[in-house]
Amino acid sequence: MNCSYPSRRDFLYSLGLSLGSAAFHSLLRADEAKPVAAPGPLTPKPSHHEAKAKACICLFMEGGPSHLDTFDPKPKLAELHMQEFSRQDKFASQMASGKRYYIKSPFEFRQAGKCGHWMSDRFQFLPEVADELCIFKGMQVDSVDHPTACYQMNTGNRFGGDPALGSWTAYGLGSENQNLPAFVVLPEGAFPQGGAANWSNGYLPAHYQGTPLREHGSPILDLVPAHGVTRPMQRANLDLLAELNKTDLSRHPHHADVAARMEAYELAFRMQTEVPAVLDLANEDANTLELYGIGTPETDSFGRRCLLARKLIQAGVRFVQLFEAGWDSHDYLDRSHTQRIRCIDRPMTALLKDLRRLGLLDSTLVVWGGEFGRSPDNGVRGGGNVVGRDHNAKAMNVWLAGAGVKAGHAVGATDELGDHAVEEVHHVRDFHCTLLHLLGLNDNKLTYFHEGRYKQLSQVGGQFIKELLA
Amino acid sequence: MRLFSALCLSILPACLWAQDPKPPVNFAEVKAILSAKCLACHGADPKELKGDYDLRTREAAIKGGETGDAAIVPGNPDGSPLYRAVTWEDGAFQMPPKENDRLSSAQVALIRRWIEAGAKWEESATTAVPSTKPTEAWSSGPGGIRIATSGGRSADWDSRTYEPDAVWAYQPIRKPEIPTTTRRASEITLARSASEGISVTHPIDAFLLDALRQKGINNFAPSADKATLIRRLTFDLTGLPPTKADLDGKYESVVSQLLASPRYGEQQARHWLDVVRYADTSGFSNDFERPNSWRYRDYVIRSFNADKPFDRFILEQVAGDELDASDPELQIAAGFLRMGPWEHTGMTVAAITRQQYLDDVTNHVGVSLLGQGLRCAACHDHKFDPLPTRDYYRVQAVFSPVQFVERPLAFLPHENIAGFDSTKSIVEQRIAQVQASQAALRKKNQEAAAAFLAEKRVKSLDELPSDQRPTQQEWNSGTFGLSKQDLSIRKVNTKSLDYLQRELKRFEPFALSVYSGPANGYTTVKPLYELPRQRTGTIPIVHILPGGSLETPADEVTPGVLSAMFASNDQLARTDWNSVPDQTAGRRLALARWIASQDNTLTARVIVNRVWQQHFGKGLVATPNNFGKMGARPTNPELLDWLATWFMDNGWSLKKLHELIVTSAAYQQSSEGSDIDELRQKDSKNDLLAYFPPRRLAAEELRDAVLAASGELNLEMGGPGVFPEMNWEVALQPRHIMGSVAPAYIPSRTAAERNRRTIYCFRIRTLADPLLEVLNRPGSETSCERRDETTVTPQVFALFNSEFAANRALAMAARLVKEQKSDEPRIAAAFNAIYGRPPTAAEREKCLAHLARMTEQQRAHNPKPTTLPTSIERGMVEEMTGEMVHWTEDLSVMTNYQRDLMPWQADAPTRALADLCLVLMNSNEFLYVR
Repeated sequence: MNCSYPSRRDFLYSLGLSLGSAAFHSLLRADEAKPVAAPGPLTPKPSHHEAKAKACICLFMEGGPSHLDTFDPKPKLAELHMQEFSRQDKFASQMASGKRYYIKSPFEFRQAGKCGHWMSDRFQFLPEVADELCIFKGMQVDSVDHPTACYQMNTGNRFGGDPALGSWTAYGLGSENQNLPAFVVLPEGAFPQGGAANWSNGYLPAHYQGTPLREHGSPILDLVPAHGVTRPMQRANLDLLAELNKTDLSRHPHHADVAARMEAYELAFRMQTEVPAVLDLANEDANTLELYGIGTPETDSFGRRCLLARKLIQAGVRFVQLFEAGWDSHDYLDRSHTQRIRCIDRPMTALLKDLRRLGLLDSTLVVWGGEFGRSPDNGVRGGGNVVGRDHNAKAMNVWLAGAGVKAGHAVGATDELGDHAVEEVHHVRDFHCTLLHLLGLNDNKLTYFHEGRYKQLSQVGGQFIKELLA
Repeated sequence: MRLFSALCLSILPACLWAQDPKPPVNFAEVKAILSAKCLACHGADPKELKGDYDLRTREAAIKGGETGDAAIVPGNPDGSPLYRAVTWEDGAFQMPPKENDRLSSAQVALIRRWIEAGAKWEESATTAVPSTKPTEAWSSGPGGIRIATSGGRSADWDSRTYEPDAVWAYQPIRKPEIPTTTRRASEITLARSASEGISVTHPIDAFLLDALRQKGINNFAPSADKATLIRRLTFDLTGLPPTKADLDGKYESVVSQLLASPRYGEQQARHWLDVVRYADTSGFSNDFERPNSWRYRDYVIRSFNADKPFDRFILEQVAGDELDASDPELQIAAGFLRMGPWEHTGMTVAAITRQQYLDDVTNHVGVSLLGQGLRCAACHDHKFDPLPTRDYYRVQAVFSPVQFVERPLAFLPHENIAGFDSTKSIVEQRIAQVQASQAALRKKNQEAAAAFLAEKRVKSLDELPSDQRPTQQEWNSGTFGLSKQDLSIRKVNTKSLDYLQRELKRFEPFALSVYSGPANGYTTVKPLYELPRQRTGTIPIVHILPGGSLETPADEVTPGVLSAMFASNDQLARTDWNSVPDQTAGRRLALARWIASQDNTLTARVIVNRVWQQHFGKGLVATPNNFGKMGARPTNPELLDWLATWFMDNGWSLKKLHELIVTSAAYQQSSEGSDIDELRQKDSKNDLLAYFPPRRLAAEELRDAVLAASGELNLEMGGPGVFPEMNWEVALQPRHIMGSVAPAYIPSRTAAERNRRTIYCFRIRTLADPLLEVLNRPGSETSCERRDETTVTPQVFALFNSEFAANRALAMAARLVKEQKSDEPRIAAAFNAIYGRPPTAAEREKCLAHLARMTEQQRAHNPKPTTLPTSIERGMVEEMTGEMVHWTEDLSVMTNYQRDLMPWQADAPTRALADLCLVLMNSNEFLYVR
């Protein structure tokens, strides 16, 4: 048999474990040897091709923001507003079946920036950076319920269990900072539907798992020792541990894993001080805090996370994903989308401006979007008084900004009702390929052998969308 | 590899053609490759030719694409860009571009010979592909073996050939002779240390040594010392550290005792539950509790402890209900078919979630029992294995009558329901709290309505002019007078009740099971699938779904098995064994009998391999869930087959198989040796087992071992999942369920309940215990064939910093302080509990010094008491308003919570001893099995 099988464990061996176990090994054996950083799983790796984007910030709007009420105006719906029709379809959910009404957008639309991007009037700040955006209106996904659609958007696989986009990116490019996770997740208070499988490393080694940093409490679980154990006490315990392990190593000099584990304890000890320093917003000036809307109740939470995302990227983290929920506006579309947009509008505008100001937007890709779009029609709710929109896998909009992106362009279009994408229509797998491409990665080469095949983010292969690229 | 080709040649003499250096090139074979691998981009759509290169005709194929250079130079493969591209040798120019589509070496060689022979393009009658109707099961010819299956979707696929060793697992299991060379003579010793000379009598050793010697490695490593060996044995067989009696016992008797211990079934079940993706909840949006998943878990443990023959175990799980509908145990066993994550809600499409189930169960039976994932063939004929998409849907048709049922089934005498009263009262208390909150909102609404009527001085709304009335909707739906905040809380409450009421089902005698029948009409969201009265009717006909799409069904299929397996092609020669009836009942039983059979070429090999992996860290086939072409080849095919045959001859007894393995010298060798660097030159991955491969404790083993060392482990067996303490931030972390936030995770009230073995801990799919997760316990979405052993820093946080670790260390210290009078015996006892050996003099000195130092530091350090929350502030973005809504979740069920011993309750010397215990629990000697 010519096909050699690379086992998961062997990948780890060949990559080395964390900071060069071999180097650490020799350090233990001969104290005069200087540790040389052997390649670890998070060591920066060359990209597959030249690319501007070195890092990515993904703003994930959980619940499915409405394209029809953000960037994709449909005047036709105003004509059809409250017009009734009926849907009976084997492939429609209970929610989308039966008596339906077309619903116009409660918002006015206007054009923004030199490029004239359409935006709903609820965006008060975003127009300032409209020319940075590339809005894509041709995307389609496969699923109309939240967890499966979230899994697909984040991992390519509707049923979960596969590595997330951030994990693939970390696997492909490594990280610039070995003391922080390569892939950081900033959830809002509540974890999304489907839970941590949204940032899972799947079948990739655990080094590539998304690490949620918490807004409150310990940012990383158990970063601080339990019960107020002091640093000197912990150091003393670590020293004894190192002694015991050294004796053990002398008895098992060929056991490859143990040196790496010893090193992990030292790295953990360093992280305990370094991580809180990176996360500390106290040193940010008042203007910056103001810019992000930090201190204003509605924008405080998302603003903090946007600022934190910027700081993490500056610190060398490869991929930061923010989750912001509440977009599932089946009812009360007007007030709920108004409020949701208000919460993100200023912080994300600030993020783009801040990245631009710092020169980071030239090397950072920013992505905004949810798991699907929304329907132009709605069922009977509250006697027709309570209008909203249901789920729609066949039409949605997302935007990109930053490194390598064709700024100031809108790509693709939906039909006159916004029910289906009709121009530049692409399955999410092509979008995934595009994001990887922008980060210098080729989906066909960024593979991992698992369960008998080389798996990839796009699942079955796709093509990047040229029109989104600068 | 040499060995293996010999094996193939011996059973398939027809492959001898391969010895001819230049066999004639059959263009049909080349064309099949081109259409499978190239034409999608280079011909299928003439308007969209990639690189402007067209492979439909010889002229165009030779001419090349946009570069202007000829792509094929007939007679000169090395000068042909096409050939260079398919070799993948030039990193910048590799075709096909995807790793998955890459040509096999045989295919590359064929292309080479074809170009050498002039790149002839002759589609003559003699090269026509055979019809899809098979005429013979296996035939060989240029390019390899051709296998007749139930029929692919294209003639090209049907005419495809396989390298013999790519389809090894579809060939009959043989019983190879035990190698005699190693039996030769007394000079052969079993271990590399001459002093341990024993002649080779154990068959496993004979096979392994034979292979080692062919690599120039003469012998195994010396035998491991007894303490190491016993520790290895107890962890492998029971998942627990050795007791003193184990360490003092005779090896063979310890083996027998461990196999007879109930702990054996728990450990074996842990491995099996990885394969079947066990969890107590359903996953996805709501992740509701499934009523009584645990009964299946306990069934598995019972089965292993009783050493139920594995073929019977398969029958029961795949078709227990069809085997005997009156045997309660068998209804529970069939829960196997419902282990995957699955959910249907008002937002999902019934036809799609049903298909999702069928796809899941089809693939799952393949993965778990046959070591052959079937999912690839859901969309198309398998790219690598002889698995037509037709076979995928034939197997799916076996499951098309499967309907879910939460079957009322009285708890069995051996099922543990002792904890019902205390745990049920907690759920009831939580429900009562939510109901009280709902009642308060109802009262507020009623009072507001009454006040409104009073203010208007009317008795009913009808008396008011319509412009003064609230809307019908508001008035009738009980929302009048409620604020936005109230409405949100009402919604959260409704959802919490839904969630908690499903937890109550845990205390009712339901079994998560299935029956065979027509579609039961349950297309709406149900907390329980009841057994309908009407169970007759037609079963939906299964169609091939190209691309997996329900919207474009193709050919109808009838139920069947994997036709490529030896003697399994029912269209060639239909037998009772290889065919599945078409009526409602009995399809699964027929499939199960085909699987659980001596004649099935996969089943016994697959389970024997899984057991081998449990002991040696890696299977003889390194990919236990994939015995196909893309899986690993067996490192010792003769041994694998010998074991599989031996296993079947011994009544499919797993206990006997374990015993056989652990009594081999191979298993008992040391993991160390002065010559290991040299051995790694010869066998870099230790595939041939010239020394024992060490492993890290699995997540559950580690947690259980820590509890055993601290003296807290509660060995009570069975019953509904218990709720151990997990990191409080995670336990109380709000998590979205549809439209709301799930009620908080509440740990079990007593330490005894919390400190059960990990296999009895409740598994929530969307809420992993971070301690276990970080130690590589897999998620329960997909079948796990083998645990990872990554080393990542969060493991340090979980083992060195967490409250769990600190509390176990403190409990252990408190026990040692009670049992021993001074530091020295306490240190000795700690070493014995954690390492199973006393400390050396040097270690004792270090530890004494550490205790002195830490006692001093602990005296200066006063841990502050903490309290547990009795309520928690909750917040989420309300989708009806887009605003944050805040509320308080009542956690007063925690009032009588029995906490662990906490540091402020212990004196400084005890805490210092706890520091020592914590260090020992984090040391490599403890974390690894050598």
